[in-house]
Amino acid sequence: MLKEEAIIVKDVYFSYNGFEVLKGVSLTVRTGEVLALMGENGAGKTTLIKHFNGLLKPQKGRVLVFGKDTREASVAQLARRVGLVFQNPDHQLFAESVEEEILFTLRNMGYPESRVKERCEYVLRLFDLDKYRQRSPYTLSIGERKRLAIAAVVSHDPDVLVLDEPTAGQDYFNKSKLARIINAMKMKGKGIVIVTHDVEFAVQIADRVALMANGRVIKVGSARDVLTDEKGLRAARLLPPQIAWTASLLIQKGFTMSRIPMLPGELYFELARMLDSRGEGGNL
Amino acid sequence: MSRVFDIFRFRQKKTPLHSLDPRAKFAILLALSAASLAFSDPFSLSLLLLVEVILLKIAKSLSELISSLRGLTSIMILIFILNYLTLPSGRLYTSIAMSLRFLSLATAFSVFFLTTTPDELSTALEVSGVPREYTMMFTMSLRFVPSLARDLQTVSDALRARGLELERGGLRERLRNYTYLLVPLLVYELRRSLMVAEALEARGFGAVRKVEPFYELRFRAKDYLTLALSCCALLIIALLHLTKVYSVFTSELARIIP
Repeated sequence: MLKEEAIIVKDVYFSYNGFEVLKGVSLTVRTGEVLALMGENGAGKTTLIKHFNGLLKPQKGRVLVFGKDTREASVAQLARRVGLVFQNPDHQLFAESVEEEILFTLRNMGYPESRVKERCEYVLRLFDLDKYRQRSPYTLSIGERKRLAIAAVVSHDPDVLVLDEPTAGQDYFNKSKLARIINAMKMKGKGIVIVTHDVEFAVQIADRVALMANGRVIKVGSARDVLTDEKGLRAARLLPPQIAWTASLLIQKGFTMSRIPMLPGELYFELARMLDSRGEGGNL
Repeated sequence: MSRVFDIFRFRQKKTPLHSLDPRAKFAILLALSAASLAFSDPFSLSLLLLVEVILLKIAKSLSELISSLRGLTSIMILIFILNYLTLPSGRLYTSIAMSLRFLSLATAFSVFFLTTTPDELSTALEVSGVPREYTMMFTMSLRFVPSLARDLQTVSDALRARGLELERGGLRERLRNYTYLLVPLLVYELRRSLMVAEALEARGFGAVRKVEPFYELRFRAKDYLTLALSCCALLIIALLHLTKVYSVFTSELARIIP
């Protein structure tokens, strides 16, 4: 699949009330891949993603969304291409029914009435919300409200989807459901940015990871390179994924591995190969 | 708009005004707001404003007033226009006075709130015999003003990200857009207030009827002096009105100025 540069952030500075939050951030978001934006609280992640659809405009530097400078476009124009979902669903839902919630976005984005129904139907099914269509959003559980908030943004089919802490407060079942939806959207060629502290979730779905600390991007690269770099992770106040951590402990003990594994299957493969070579792998 | 509230938010500073007893500062507030309401001509109100500016200068808080001035001015202009359009006579004169009255009232309250911590305030209220439930309610509502402003920003950001254009269309459409903002804000704040209430109970709020105040308030010489001066000011204002000196003064003014 052809990857296109969807959002280009060039040396952006931003400060709130004289407090510098972004200090020269450069980053590229591409379509057809999942980028995880990670880092400690207050590193500037949320401030950065608010630049992606023009809610905040850079005070220095530039943000280009599909070639268009965000300073020259309205939020409504940019929102058509970049869908941003905030952390707390309760800040975003207001309609009387789940269905209305989806229809609101579609009408704002100027969808013709003939297509509105069909789009709404599709998203409700995708997010497993079709059985609730007449319910008030406020009577849904937190996991369902979160899905609805994402569904409302996904409904108008933006090219880039930005999710702020999508896994916060979600149980394992909801997390894997979310991971499946994100993957499906990636396969359709969408660019996806997730802001998260959840290293294990990032291991599951991210293609690339950007680490932020102190208003700067300190490392960008493939998920494997970044999430196995303990020094970089420490600077962003993150712990390595548990599998990678276990592997590095084993390596310290003198084991050799062809690469640092990140997923259970990969660790299994390395261990099996190792034990095999010692002639002890018969039972694995 | 959030800037307007800046003049009512406490800032930690070391000034003679900050170290006064909250009850003494309350007396100042009473005298200043009584004066703002008692005088209705631009000259007295300007003089009063000068006094308030000097007080803010002593409290090293003039910059807060200046940064809020933009928001305040828009409200002053609104007051001016409304008065100008509705008054039968003496329009310019009274409209200016009414805008000045608003500014001097706002500044009077800012002198108090900029220099008094919510904690001091609630202690002062408790010492004066107000039940703790009410003082707590009062300090909590102050405490949550900045959070409310932040939530409003988040809600409006979230809706704008879904293509809502708040500033588009005629008055009716704009009003409807603002109701979209109001629903999530209201629901969110209600949910949060329930959560805060539960958290308070979990931490033992209400377990003891009478709670020893955390800070001890002491009325010192300078507090007595402030109290006495404020009472004098109140007395003078009352005398000016009772002896009709002030009404003679304003009618003279009204004759000179249209």
